[in-house]
Amino acid sequence: MHRDTKSYPGRNPNVNTNRLVGAAASAITLTLALSACGNAGGAATAEETGPGEVRVWLVGSDTPVEARDYLKKTFEEENPGSTLVIEEQAWEGLVDKYTTALSGSDAPDVVEIGNTQAAAFTSAGYFREITADEFETLGGSDLLPGFVEAGDWEGNHYALPYYSGSRVVFYSEQILGDTEVPTTLDEYVETAVDLKTDDLSGVYWPGQDWYNALPFIWENGGFVAEQAEDGTWEAGFSSEGGLAGLEQIQTIMTKGNNAPADTNEADLQVPFCEGKVAFLSAPSWIQWSINAPEEPEDPEGVPGCASTYGKDLQGFALPGKDGGAAQVFAGGSNIAIAQKSARPDLAMSAYEILLSDEYQSILAGAGLFPAKTSLFEQVDQESSIGKAAAEAAANAKLTPASPKWADVESKMLLQTAFTKIASGEDVKTVAEQLDADIEEILNS
Amino acid sequence: MSLLADLPAPTAPPRQEIRQPSRKPFLPWLLLSATMVILGVLTGYPVLRLVVMSFQEYERAQLMGLPAEWVGFDNYATVLTDVEGFWAVLGRSFALMVVLVVTTMVLGMLVALLMIRIGKGMRLLVSVGLLLAWAMPSLAATTVWGWVFDTQYGVVNNVLTAITGDRWFGNSWLLNPWSFFLILTCIIVWGAVPFVAFTLYAGLTQIPEEVMEAAQLDGASAFQRFRLIQVPYVRSIITVLVILSMIWDLKVFTQVFVLQDIGGDRELTNTIGVYIYQTGMAQGHYGLASAIGVIFVVVMLAISYPYVRRTLREEEL
Repeated sequence: MHRDTKSYPGRNPNVNTNRLVGAAASAITLTLALSACGNAGGAATAEETGPGEVRVWLVGSDTPVEARDYLKKTFEEENPGSTLVIEEQAWEGLVDKYTTALSGSDAPDVVEIGNTQAAAFTSAGYFREITADEFETLGGSDLLPGFVEAGDWEGNHYALPYYSGSRVVFYSEQILGDTEVPTTLDEYVETAVDLKTDDLSGVYWPGQDWYNALPFIWENGGFVAEQAEDGTWEAGFSSEGGLAGLEQIQTIMTKGNNAPADTNEADLQVPFCEGKVAFLSAPSWIQWSINAPEEPEDPEGVPGCASTYGKDLQGFALPGKDGGAAQVFAGGSNIAIAQKSARPDLAMSAYEILLSDEYQSILAGAGLFPAKTSLFEQVDQESSIGKAAAEAAANAKLTPASPKWADVESKMLLQTAFTKIASGEDVKTVAEQLDADIEEILNS
Repeated sequence: MSLLADLPAPTAPPRQEIRQPSRKPFLPWLLLSATMVILGVLTGYPVLRLVVMSFQEYERAQLMGLPAEWVGFDNYATVLTDVEGFWAVLGRSFALMVVLVVTTMVLGMLVALLMIRIGKGMRLLVSVGLLLAWAMPSLAATTVWGWVFDTQYGVVNNVLTAITGDRWFGNSWLLNPWSFFLILTCIIVWGAVPFVAFTLYAGLTQIPEEVMEAAQLDGASAFQRFRLIQVPYVRSIITVLVILSMIWDLKVFTQVFVLQDIGGDRELTNTIGVYIYQTGMAQGHYGLASAIGVIFVVVMLAISYPYVRRTLREEEL
C-alpha cells in the first residue's frame, strides 16, 4: 500500500519509526511468522481420525465442473461426515503462493502444481512422499512416465501426474479458406506470413507465450538447457539450432502476427472469436472456451463463439521440421499431498479418487490427456482436434529437470526474452543474455 | 499548527510529582501496553527474525524445518557486491523516488493554492475528487491504469489512433522501461497528490490574512507573497511531507508489482520492494532477501531520522 491513513505527520514518532521498519520488512514478515510454525516439526504430528475437512487446490479452470462434482460427491460418500472443499488458484504467482501456503500451519491437503514447477517443492520437502506400495495402488507404471519423473526427487515419488495437454494448432475453416494446412515447420512460418493482414494474424502469438516457442528450438536441433557430466548446466538458446529456431519465431512474431509483444497467453479465445486469427496454437482444452455460447447461461461464464468461428473449428499438430508432428512442450499438471496436511488419511482418500479410472475418464472426456496411459483411448480422437492432440502428446518434451527451473519461470526470464524477440530485437544478443541468465540460476 | 494539535502534553503537572514522589508512574505504561504488545508481535518479532535470517542460509527447504546454517556476513557480501542486481535496483529506486517526490510536491502545492482561490462549491468538488483518488485502493487503481494503456484495447492507443490517423494498436507502453516508469509515475503521483494537497491546504489556511494583505499593500507580487510568506509559514509541514513522501515512494510495491504483471521487463523495472519480494518469496532465497531487507531498513532509518528529530524537537517546545 502506498498511502496509509495512519501516517499523519505529527503522530508519535516512535510509532512511525516502527511502522517504517515494519513496512520495510513487510514482504518477509508473513514468511517469518509462518516459518516459526514451520520449525515445530515436519509432518502433522497427531494423526487424527474421524470426519474432517479436506481442502483441494486446483489451478485454473482446466478441470471441468463435472470432474469437480464427481470428486466432491465420491469423497463424501466414501468418508461419511467428512467434507471436501475445492479452492481454485490462479496460475500467476503460483510458486510464491505455494511456498508460503504449504509451509504454513493452515496448509491445503491436496494441491495441483504445474509439471515444470514441481521440482521446486519436491526438492525442499513440501510434499508427502508417495511410498512404493501407494504408487503401485495408484497406477504404477500405467502413470505417464515423463510426468512421474517430473514429480520425483532423489528416487522417491512426491507428485504424481494429474493430466497432460499438449498444444494443438486451431483454425476455423471460414478464415483459412482455400489455404492448405502446412505440413512442415517452414511451411507453417511461410503460411503465417502470407496470411497476415492488418486485421488478421497468420499465427496469433502474444510475446510472453514461451511454451509455443520451445518446439521451434527443439525442431531446429537446439535445446533449452542440458546438464554436463560434472553437473553444471549449459543453456542452448544461443546454440546453432537455438538461433535458427529463434529466427523462425521472430519471423512469425513480427511478420505473421498482430498480437501484442508484451502480453501473455490468457484469454486466447477472444481474438479468435473476433475472427482475427488464422492459426492459434493453444492447449487442447481451449476448444471449450471457443465453442462456448456467445451468451453463456452461467452469469460468470466466459462467452465464446459457438455459432460463428467455433462451428467449424479444426486442429492439427504443429508440423515438425521434416513433416510429422513437432516435438512440443508437454503441458500439464502434477498433483501432490502437502507435507503439512492436517489429515493425511483423508487427503490420501481424495488423492485416490483424483487418480481413479473414473475421475480420469471424466478428464479424458473433456479432451485432457489423463494421468494413465491406458485411458488415452478415451480421449475423443475422431475429431481433427483430438487426433492432433494425441499426435502432439506422443512427441511432447519437458523443460530441464532442475529444482531451480521454477526460479527461471518465476523470474519470467523466458517471457522477457520472447517479448524482446517479438519486438524485433537482435536474436543473438537476446539469446546470449537469456542463456547467461538461465545458467546463472541453474548453476547457483 | 493544526497538524501538531493532537500531540500529547509533554510534561505532567509538577504538583503530582510532589504528592507521589515514590510511586512509579504505572498508568501510562498500562495504557501503552496494548500498543507495545501489538508492535512487538507485528513489528518487533519480524524485524528480529529478519536480522537473524540475514545471517543464515535460508532457502525453501529451511522453511519446511531443515535447520538453517549460520553463514556470517556471506549474504551481505553477496548483496553488496551485486552491482548489476542490488545497486542497480537501489539506484533506480532513488532516482524514481526523486522524480516522484518533486512531482508530487509541486502538483500538491499547486492544487492547495488553487483550493484557496476557488469558491466554496468548486472547492467541495475538488475535495471530493481528491478524496476519491486517495481512497482508491492502489491495486484497483493500477489495474485500471493498466487497462487505459492496454496494448490492444486501451483507450490511449484508441484515442491516439483517432487523432493522428496512424495505427497505434499494438503499441506497447509498458515494454519500454522509460514509458513504463512514466506510467508508474502517473499512477503513484495521482494517488499521492491528494494527501499532500490537503495537508498543505490546511497549513496555508492558517496564515493570518492580515499578513498577506499587508504584503499586498506593500506591493509584493503574488509570487513574492508565495515565496516570502506562504512557504516560510508552512516550511515545517513541507519538510515533513517531503520526508514522508520519500519514505512512501522508496518502498512502493503494489503499483510496480501489478504493472510488471500486466507487461514490462522485470529486470529493467524492479524497484527495491519488488526486488526483495522476488528474491525472497518468488525465488526462495530468504537469507539473501533478509540481508537486502536489513540494508533497506538502515537506509529508511537514515532518511526518517530528520523527521523523528524534528518531531521530537517540536514536542520539547
